[in-house]
Amino acid sequence: MTLVEQLQIWLGAFLVLSLFSFLYKDNPFYKFAEHIFAGLSAGYYIGLIWQNVIIQQLIDPMFDQGRWWLVFPGLLGLLMFARFFPKWSWISRISLAFIMGNTAGVFLISQLHGIVLPQTVATMLSLDPRNGFGTVLLALIVVCGVISTLVYFYFSKEHKGILGGTAKVGIWFIMISFGAHFGYTVMARISLLIGQVRFLMFDWGGSIKQLF
Amino acid sequence: MGFWDKLANLDRRWIYLSVAISVIFPMLFVIKFPVEISPEARQLYNAVESLPDSSVVFLTFDYYPSTLAETEPMSIAALNQMFRKNMKVITMTTIPLGGPSIAERVTRMVAEKYNKVYGVDYVNLGYKANYVAVLKGMGSSIESIYPSDNRGTPLKDLPLMNKVKNYNDIKFIYVVADNAIVDYWISIVNAQYKTPVGAGMTAVMAPKMYPFVQAGQLTGLLGGMKGAAEYEELVGVKGTAIRGMDAQSLVHLLIIGFVILGNISYFVTRKKTGPGVMK
Amino acid sequence: MRTTLPVIIAFISGLIMVVSFFLNPQTTFLGNTEEEVLQWASIIGGFTLLLGVVSIVRVNSKTVGQRKKGWLFNLATLISIFAMAIPSILPVTSQSNFGSIFYKVFPESWGSLFGTAPGSIYDWLFNYLDSPMMATMFAMLAFYIASAAYRAFRARNAEATLLLLTAVLVMLWRIPMGEAFLRLFGDNIPGYINTYIMNGANAAVQRGIVIGAALGAASMSLRIMLGIERTYMGKG
Repeated sequence: MTLVEQLQIWLGAFLVLSLFSFLYKDNPFYKFAEHIFAGLSAGYYIGLIWQNVIIQQLIDPMFDQGRWWLVFPGLLGLLMFARFFPKWSWISRISLAFIMGNTAGVFLISQLHGIVLPQTVATMLSLDPRNGFGTVLLALIVVCGVISTLVYFYFSKEHKGILGGTAKVGIWFIMISFGAHFGYTVMARISLLIGQVRFLMFDWGGSIKQLF
Repeated sequence: MGFWDKLANLDRRWIYLSVAISVIFPMLFVIKFPVEISPEARQLYNAVESLPDSSVVFLTFDYYPSTLAETEPMSIAALNQMFRKNMKVITMTTIPLGGPSIAERVTRMVAEKYNKVYGVDYVNLGYKANYVAVLKGMGSSIESIYPSDNRGTPLKDLPLMNKVKNYNDIKFIYVVADNAIVDYWISIVNAQYKTPVGAGMTAVMAPKMYPFVQAGQLTGLLGGMKGAAEYEELVGVKGTAIRGMDAQSLVHLLIIGFVILGNISYFVTRKKTGPGVMK
Repeated sequence: MRTTLPVIIAFISGLIMVVSFFLNPQTTFLGNTEEEVLQWASIIGGFTLLLGVVSIVRVNSKTVGQRKKGWLFNLATLISIFAMAIPSILPVTSQSNFGSIFYKVFPESWGSLFGTAPGSIYDWLFNYLDSPMMATMFAMLAFYIASAAYRAFRARNAEATLLLLTAVLVMLWRIPMGEAFLRLFGDNIPGYINTYIMNGANAAVQRGIVIGAALGAASMSLRIMLGIERTYMGKG
């Protein structure tokens, strides 16, 4: 391990430990690391947008390929900054409206064509007993689960009578799903901790070993 | 104060300490239980494996550095599988914070192992803003959204990209993500352009994707570090996910223990003080 | 003007997307327009990210300028922003106009330190400082979730009990040790959990939620395009 590698591992370990120190209680080391983190992340955006958007999507195509009309999205992008001047802030709505309209146009089709229709079709499952007990049981669970969940989230009518009963079944299904989500979330958080402990034990630990 | 009352008011730092010990201990003393493969992981593996050699595939790095422990092993295992089959890999990201740097680092690391040449065997397109516009725009022309790769080399100067115009030239899209972007890969790309999409997801996001697997909109799914370990096992790469499974197991058992203990103390103290008093 | 113009722009930009879905982008004028519009949307989207950065710089500069409590931490944020940003926007070679001037003053061997490529200051700061810190922020959640499981995860009623039991079962199923343990009660138990819980009840509920959310997103999209939904414009 070179001196530079040692230095970068020690610096990383110092910041990681500073952040972990919050588990004991709030302290200046934590605050320092937290502020550095916020700053570096914000700085990352500047480099990224400069290289990947301004240079690659605007300047290069405009000057190398003669696509002069890209000056318009560039100007629309700059109009966004009008938000910082109360008197002119309404101008930023033009750029925002362009993006919102564009996203809305894509979503209007893709949400219906790409989610609602295929997911509805996938729920129309056969209950033919010849498919075997397991398949029919699964189909029943899926059909009942989808309908009762949709009913549970239907708030335009009071949950009474059949609607209330179905919503009650819906909440049981939802609890099972949320339980599964919780189990998975526990798994996710622990995995992230394992990653950082590995860094401290093997990378930083290896570096300490080399020193002594 | 009785034993159960003390337990109910246990300082949270003791819990933190026990979690830390449970993570560290298995790293020092390896137990190694076999990793069983789920049908969804096998489906994803088979989908990639059944593609003709030298197919052009997309591999996305749609994750932040915060979830590297779960997602990076998936990307590494997938790249190993793809390069071993001599596939042409195009990487990209919709994540502004770190996405392009992670894609660059991981792809180059695995490519070196297989002596793959940048521009011929793989290309990193990097990041472009507004993922809806990016995903939709690549349907007509990748070059319209990405005039150049991550380092600013024009796409026309990269031999691999001369063969690829849009999704019609892509055989498979392998999404590794820690957020809801997979929804859009499915609803915008798969639904309209019919390119198969498979996903490796963080455990937080994975349960949400099961209906898409069932509907055939998603070809295979990996969920969290366990999913990554399954894929490493399938590809034959002994990576950090498999090595992390012991620690994962022990902490899960610890948390299950906490849940049981917490509930026992809840019922015992509730009997004494009545419902609703327990903290 | 202040409201009507944005509404018209939103309508046109959305309508192009809707209509072009039904046309072949390679052969029609509208299809080509779609390609151009999406390119514009991506470029403008990039600028929106910078808005947040400008806000952070403004807030922190104000705190430092007024020497408010803890201003040294805000100074650390500002220094970090510029330490990351300035090297990333400096020219890598002398071939560009700015580069030819820059490298008359500084040695050209410094080029590899600038830009965003591997080996640059930007890449180094990201890989060795920013990335581990972000991972640590999220890793800390493992401790909080363990504490929450102990303190708040109670079988208070039938629904909570169902949630708790499913969570415990899934936690066991997702670890190699737990899978082996579950097999002691029957060889098919892990398979049943995958089939009937994850692909059964869980998939059904998630399907109900995504169908509902997609319908909501589609109707909201229509409202935005028609100018009924204008909250994104803010006040004024």
